[in-house]
Amino acid sequence: MQLTLNVLVAASTLALMAVGFGLIFSTTRFFHFAHAVVYTGAAYLTYCGSVQLGLPLVIAVLLGVAGGVCLGGLMEVGLYRPMRGRSASALTLLIASLGTYVVLQNLVSMTWGDDVRMLQSSTVREGIEILGGRITPTSVLAIAVCVALLAVVTLVLRRTGLGRAMRAVADDAELARIRGIRADRVILATFAIGSALAAVAGILVALDVNMRPTMGMNALMLAIVAVIIGGVSSIGGIALGSLFLAAAQQVAIWQLGSQWQDAVAFAILLVFLLARPQGLFGKPLRKVAV
Amino acid sequence: MEYALHILVFVGIYIILAASLDLLAGHTGLLSIAHAAFYGLGAYTSALLTVKAGAPFLLGVLGGMFVAALLSLLVSLPSLRLIDDYFVIATFAFQMILFSIFNNWNELTGGPTGIPGIPEPSVIGWEVTSHLEFVVLAGVFAILAFLVVWRLTTGPFGRALHAIREDEVLAKSIGKNALRFKITVFAISSALAASAGSLYAHYITYIDPTSFTVMESILVISMVIIGGAGSLWGPLLGAFVLVTLPETLRFIGLPSAVAANLRQIIYGSLLVVMMMVRPQGLVGRYALGR
Repeated sequence: MQLTLNVLVAASTLALMAVGFGLIFSTTRFFHFAHAVVYTGAAYLTYCGSVQLGLPLVIAVLLGVAGGVCLGGLMEVGLYRPMRGRSASALTLLIASLGTYVVLQNLVSMTWGDDVRMLQSSTVREGIEILGGRITPTSVLAIAVCVALLAVVTLVLRRTGLGRAMRAVADDAELARIRGIRADRVILATFAIGSALAAVAGILVALDVNMRPTMGMNALMLAIVAVIIGGVSSIGGIALGSLFLAAAQQVAIWQLGSQWQDAVAFAILLVFLLARPQGLFGKPLRKVAV
Repeated sequence: MEYALHILVFVGIYIILAASLDLLAGHTGLLSIAHAAFYGLGAYTSALLTVKAGAPFLLGVLGGMFVAALLSLLVSLPSLRLIDDYFVIATFAFQMILFSIFNNWNELTGGPTGIPGIPEPSVIGWEVTSHLEFVVLAGVFAILAFLVVWRLTTGPFGRALHAIREDEVLAKSIGKNALRFKITVFAISSALAASAGSLYAHYITYIDPTSFTVMESILVISMVIIGGAGSLWGPLLGAFVLVTLPETLRFIGLPSAVAANLRQIIYGSLLVVMMMVRPQGLVGRYALGR
């Protein structure tokens, strides 16, 4: 039972990160590595607001999410959009994104230091007992927020004009533009939504566990694994991919020890890339292999 | 003076790394984020052979190159059918797994504490101890690596590589066995990176996993891309600039913790700027990913 609870907690924040990344990937078709620093940045902004400035936690969280959304939006407007204008390749965008990540992560390190920080006081928190397993209230909150946000995003994608436009751009940006959809605006909206999800995920992890400047890259790598397992195109698939990955990691922790959980995750990624690069539920977005 | 020589040793080591990565990324169009893993494989194999088995330096170097070339098959055989950014992600996974092994296989690699007491090299009776002698040794290695890359990228072999980079299907249609070319190049590139790792291990006489992280891979990628991928002199220029430029920070008198962050910020922003303004690098003509 404890194992199941741990899987659910790990899968929930992972799924938020993965769905955010997946949305951006499916509309822009490149690996947005700097997504990782949105996650980190939002956590640290919340820390700055709540602990350093002494604001109420709710305000600090809102500040963190807003900061994350602005950060993601700025990257799109200031960097990716001009590059797309010069028809940069997916690989060029990936490298630029990697560079952006390196710069911003080091700025976080310089501003707040490399030490582990906590959002909540470090007194041992009582877990609640559920069916023989223990879970912290923050973890329960994380699972609830995750389910709620994923439901909202699914509704937005399926039921609103924006969602239709996003799916159209993801499907064929050129065709969408011809039909009068303002692709750049839609992509910006995608970055905003995706970044908001990453920001919430980062803040939840910071609330529940702790934060460090490199937390984002680790989370993003796992999210990429989840996206590739689940298949880029569907939110349900990505959520299931996250569950599968979290389960595999928890079993690895239980059987092999926590130091091998990353190795197991990336081994799974390699297996999927080689055997089924389009994921369990997805169809290939574009050519992935020769 | 000693300080200048110390920097020159690193220029030599990074020239090997950048030139060998360029063989793969620039000339064959396969951007790998696993270069630090092969660099580390060379360092660890060489260190273990000389420390635990008492082997001479050159045997350690050859052993490292052999292990790296062998393990490169593990990446290249399955993942070479993936293109562009999917290949990047596959190498990323390999890098993470290998780092995890360096960091966690305590019995073999010493885990996070690393391997101390690596002997200084002696090449057929020549004891390399002073900085000057090390510059000579690193210089010889760098020139050899440069010659290998030069030989492979000019003439019929190089033309075949360029053909594969530009259009793999077309290269196949004129009877080039693209997969065999790619596997060969990947093995040679990894072996060269491993030789740089041996040099590093025997120069510093102590290794630990932190020298072989993803960040190290990104640094080498930056050298290749900023200098100019696919050109003969580009990676050399990139290696020289990126090793010496951050050293000037030292003279401004910044505390070392800040200097380390600032150094990475410089790499990162140079990457972003190059991707936006000159994706083909300072002296190159070829932009990655077309």
